[in-house]
Amino acid sequence: MVETAGAALEAIGIVKRFGTLVAVDGVDLELARGEIHALCGENGAGKSTLARILAGALAPSAGRVASDGPVGLVHQHFELVDRLRVWENVVLGREPRRGLRLDAAAARERVRSLAREYALDVDPDAVVESLPVGIAQRVEILRELAREPSTLVLDEPTAVLAPREIDALFATLRSLAARGAAIMVITHKLQEVISHANRVTVMRGGRVVLRAATAETSLDAIARAMVGGDVPALATRRAVTPHAAFAARDLRAGDGAHALRGASFEVRGGEIVGIAGVEGNGQSALCDAIAGVVPYAGEMTLDGEPLRGNPGARTAAGVRTIPQDRQREALVLPWSIARNVALGDHTRPPLRRGWSLDRQACDALATEIVRRFDVRAASIRTSVAALSGGNQQKVVVGRALAHEPRVVIAYQPTRGIDVGAASLVQSRLIEARNAGAAVLLVSFELDELLAVADRILVLYRGAIAGEFVREGFDRARIGALMAGAA
Amino acid sequence: MAELLDFFQLALVKATPLIFAALAGVICERSGILNIALEGGLTVGAFTGAAVSFETGNPLLGLIAGMLAGALLCGLLGVAATRFGVDQIVAGIGLNMLAAGATAFAVVVLFGAPGATPEVHALGSAGETALIAVAVVAALALQLGFDRTPWGLRLRACGENPQAVLSAGLDPRRIRVLATLAGGAIAGLGGVFLSLGELDLYSDGMTAGRGFIALAAVIFGRWTPLGAAGAALAFGALSALQFVLQRSGVPSELMQALPYLAALAALTGIVGKARAPAADGVSL
Repeated sequence: MVETAGAALEAIGIVKRFGTLVAVDGVDLELARGEIHALCGENGAGKSTLARILAGALAPSAGRVASDGPVGLVHQHFELVDRLRVWENVVLGREPRRGLRLDAAAARERVRSLAREYALDVDPDAVVESLPVGIAQRVEILRELAREPSTLVLDEPTAVLAPREIDALFATLRSLAARGAAIMVITHKLQEVISHANRVTVMRGGRVVLRAATAETSLDAIARAMVGGDVPALATRRAVTPHAAFAARDLRAGDGAHALRGASFEVRGGEIVGIAGVEGNGQSALCDAIAGVVPYAGEMTLDGEPLRGNPGARTAAGVRTIPQDRQREALVLPWSIARNVALGDHTRPPLRRGWSLDRQACDALATEIVRRFDVRAASIRTSVAALSGGNQQKVVVGRALAHEPRVVIAYQPTRGIDVGAASLVQSRLIEARNAGAAVLLVSFELDELLAVADRILVLYRGAIAGEFVREGFDRARIGALMAGAA
Repeated sequence: MAELLDFFQLALVKATPLIFAALAGVICERSGILNIALEGGLTVGAFTGAAVSFETGNPLLGLIAGMLAGALLCGLLGVAATRFGVDQIVAGIGLNMLAAGATAFAVVVLFGAPGATPEVHALGSAGETALIAVAVVAALALQLGFDRTPWGLRLRACGENPQAVLSAGLDPRRIRVLATLAGGAIAGLGGVFLSLGELDLYSDGMTAGRGFIALAAVIFGRWTPLGAAGAALAFGALSALQFVLQRSGVPSELMQALPYLAALAALTGIVGKARAPAADGVSL
């Protein structure tokens, strides 16, 4: 008999310090059996740290967690062994044995019966790396369910899923909850909270700032609690007469599952083209090919001229990129803001004078970017390693937009930064568009594209599966194409 | 016919220390430790085996001591890489130098003259044959262990994604240290084969780069025990061929380079694609 009421988990006065940083600052939380509980907050609000403490993966500095059973944690970046089979991943650490041997038949059967019980269809013998990300997530969930947890915590489980897969995930979670488990979902997608959760807790700066039943609150109230005020409005898009700018014909790059397999499209000046799609459908290869950092086949033109040459030549021609990983691909972390914004343009006037770097020009550029992008730093001499993720991103975006770009390639420019910084980055992209730049915006967040783009192309398995103009944006249809609907 | 038999026998003798070292390399690398100290493991195994046999007059005690010495040396690499976050390549180079220096020094201190130990009680031809058989059986047993036991699964998982091992409630550091200890003991046994099986003394530099050829065998054998042992056998046959071909004037340097060329071919995908464990060489 499954118990379906009462608290499955109770956390009291949880504090977690990392050095001088207080990541979680006195949080009380109760998860009831049978409920889906949403935990919201901006990046750095302390959600993931709290989740790890609840799951026992991290010891709190103060406070205690009482739970009436194991707590399962489904990680944002799956902790699966890619080259092992599904059943091997599920039984790892608790292998059924027969004498000295691993009882593979029993392990397979265990996975099969779990999969049946929770309606999580997956082939026990499939190798994890061959599985699409939505199925791999099922494996991670199965692995946690094999430990028969009374509470299941999922850290940003929908970040990698297409809308259709998200619905399937929540259907699974609801049936788990109905059988007496407590479910906590960490997410920053507020629509999901309203649609699927029973209760919501919002954290900001390590503290709980809102607790409510979802039936008694609103999307707006949750957003305000997360940000701690009003969400800043986006820049208005001005009417621009679009002109031909960038065109790609039959572009192919990369290999394997994440390759780009023949994309033809154009991005006009004065237009933001959004690339919609689940991560891993060729977005990286697309951006890298345009930037010229990977080998590719196919043709690209800029204002009718062929776009060729090394990445430096493309930058000089006005193709500017906001790479996906700001710390690894965009910034030299120990360097100052001033030196980082000069990087890439240091070989040309106005930043170069004669044989050397024009320090005054570099400083002036850095000062201008810091002002326009509201970079919170002690000075332009501050090393970018000392900046928060949001401020680092502002430096990267500022540099990309500083020299009147003709084409801007933005790969997830708002990933992992807070709502205020994200809104500012989006506004500056819109302003670049208003000034006539051709902007290609890759985002895994459909809401961002719906808010910012003039046109949306859906990328699925390396090819363009559909095109939508702003007046005809159809969330359901785009979502279906992202999941591979014909 | 008799010549062919001689050739096979020589090939097996030449291959056996390579098989032991390659199996040691497979165990370590599949756990995520890129063990370039195999050469050092062979060296200390060979020296300790001979020295203990000299002192006790019992080659079996020498064998055990040689395995312990190999385990100790490679275990140091495991501890350095898991507890102190040391770069595995740097630590491995250091341990190789330590092994070469310490054994050369110990030869002088213990035996009064540099270069080699005196002749010691060796394992004899029966012992030599037994060790050859042990190498073959060990390869089979390890392959079964990798594929069919819980420990094999944990070891393989550890070399691919230690974080996943951690979240399964296991300690990847412990798994890696145990792997270097086990691998080191096997490498030490390979060294013992050189000093007490094939010969009856230890001399400086007698391992002659076999630890590195074994690393090539690991790659060529695709990081599996049977594959690596097979590659080691092939390299042993090449080395036996050297003796045959020396008379026909083929330069031996060319033959010595062949294992590395084979490993390079395996890595570049000329003979199918070889893929290292994802976390091979990544310190915790």
